[in-house]
Amino acid sequence: MKAAEENVDPATPLLTVEDLQVEFDTYGGTVQAVRGVSFSVDQGQTLAIVGESGCGKSVTVQSIMGLIPTPPGRITAGSARLRGHQILGRSTVGGKEIRGAEIGMIFQDPMTSLNPTMTIGDQIAEPLQIHRGYSARDAFTEAIRLLELSKIPEATKRAQQYPFEFSGGMLQRAMIAMALSCKPSILIADEPTTALDVTIQAQILDLMQELQKETGMAIILITHDLGVVARMADEVAVMYAGKVVEYGSADDVFYRSAHPYTVGLKEAMPTNDPARQHELKPIDGSPPDLFAPPAGCGYCPRCPYAMQICSDRQPQDHNLRGHHSASCWLHHAQSDSRPETLFFKDTH
Amino acid sequence: MWLYILKRVLQGLLTVWFIATATFFAMHNVPGDPLTNDRAMTETTRANLEAKYGLDQPITTQYLIFLRNLARGDFGISFVQENREVNDIIREHFPVSAILGVLAVVFAATGGVLFGALTALYRNRLPDYLIMFLVILGISVPSFVVAALSQLSLVSLNTLVGFTVLPVAGWGTVMHMLVPALVLGLSTMAYLTRLMRSSMLEVTSSDYVRTAKSKGVPPTRIFTRHQLRNAILPVVTVLGPAIAAITTGGFVVELVFAIPGLGRYFVEAVQQLDYTVIMGTTVFYGAFLVFMVILVDVVYGFIDPRVRLDS
Repeated sequence: MKAAEENVDPATPLLTVEDLQVEFDTYGGTVQAVRGVSFSVDQGQTLAIVGESGCGKSVTVQSIMGLIPTPPGRITAGSARLRGHQILGRSTVGGKEIRGAEIGMIFQDPMTSLNPTMTIGDQIAEPLQIHRGYSARDAFTEAIRLLELSKIPEATKRAQQYPFEFSGGMLQRAMIAMALSCKPSILIADEPTTALDVTIQAQILDLMQELQKETGMAIILITHDLGVVARMADEVAVMYAGKVVEYGSADDVFYRSAHPYTVGLKEAMPTNDPARQHELKPIDGSPPDLFAPPAGCGYCPRCPYAMQICSDRQPQDHNLRGHHSASCWLHHAQSDSRPETLFFKDTH
Repeated sequence: MWLYILKRVLQGLLTVWFIATATFFAMHNVPGDPLTNDRAMTETTRANLEAKYGLDQPITTQYLIFLRNLARGDFGISFVQENREVNDIIREHFPVSAILGVLAVVFAATGGVLFGALTALYRNRLPDYLIMFLVILGISVPSFVVAALSQLSLVSLNTLVGFTVLPVAGWGTVMHMLVPALVLGLSTMAYLTRLMRSSMLEVTSSDYVRTAKSKGVPPTRIFTRHQLRNAILPVVTVLGPAIAAITTGGFVVELVFAIPGLGRYFVEAVQQLDYTVIMGTTVFYGAFLVFMVILVDVVYGFIDPRVRLDS
């Protein structure tokens, strides 16, 4: 196993997802929830996947984790490679369990994500018993240590309590302790702070960053909160209608936004910097019906820059600067206005 | 926890008192009189009985006497079967009903949980359809029909084999108990199966089962550690009323299988206006059911930690 890891080219990213496509069979027809998503994450880095509800963010990470129920779900194309090894549709890689051991995951609503009839300590201890072969007693002792690491006071007492005796923020800390119990190389956080109030949100994000520094794990953060993205992300993937429409470093995506949807998101977000105050502009309309995906760009009907070709043909990924890319016809060589980056008033 | 149990027991005593009072006054409003029937009764017997129950006294005094006797655990003497104390009738026949009832409840609960979990696992596949078909049958066909049919098939079975595999009726050995208990518990088992199925499906799609999957917990362990205990909670909740339905509903099955249980005496007492037996058995049944419900609640507290701190 060790040898296999060493054979991998050090330049290979920790996790690479390529052209992932996921469908769901429903009574209303087949929904193409994810339509070709690619991204990669490096060790110690944080990738944020941003997008509105129903754009396929959660489905993307859940298919990597093998949490999509099949049927009705179906992964129709694409690959996800961990250190170069295919993990889609598999439960182990190099003899190591993917779920829990290689990739840990935390969810949106900590109140319902923990088993109500099992003590917090037992739930944290469970992956240690399964993946590491700890005895029940050792695993529980380790669970207490992990709770302390997640900054839960009186961890020994707390470990013997049940989820209903915890607050939402405490439960999310416990979830983090549980997801990180087997020292995974990647932590997937699916809207980890959406259900929490703002002060607790900041504490949870701080905790995640602190633990990332200690362990060097990669974080895939799913959110629709651009504030959280700005605070946490090294890399950003903006998703819309099952596709990644803009991808790049946080600076590129925020300051040199290249896709009209990213610009729209920014214009809809308030800021407390007086120099950047602007009128909030909502994005009119709604995302396309993924039962029958449009022939052209999914954002076309809502896009202020839309051209004729946008409704006819799917745009390609256009590389801009470094690995910054946007899937938009505006960047095509034959486009009239071929902006290096789209204009937005707070950019330079 | 102890405080919780104490609270429940006190509530239970209050309930029993309500049952006793309601039965007493209801019996008083029934037309007729325990001592006027077609059987000849000497003046001495009548006077003795009137003195014992204070039947010549005003109703409030009678009620107080009734309560006093009840507190001592004395239900009085049967009016119809002379020289037979109600306590003796209960002592003699209740254990038979209780064994039958408990066995039926055990059948119903284990069968319900097992089949319910099975149908949920095989959702919308053959085992699910098959079991759910039988469940509908079990709920809709009344127990006396099932009882008669099972007797009929037992007769066929015994003649086919040439010796008595399972007795058709009567009481005594474990063999006598199996079929009646199964028949008695059948409709409850069907009901619990349906309940367990839906609760199991709900748990299967819950967030914490998804969390368990994301931790890499193997499916069998998810089933035993995460799904079963949570799915069983609604089943335990209705187990109290289910025990009530089984024990009070037992007399039909007791009659068909000629089992000397308490249910038969209860029904006969009502038909013959045997006041003391009616009141005695009613209060006794009531107390028994209250006790079972408390027991179920305490068990529930052990399964669901959220209930424990409610005291």
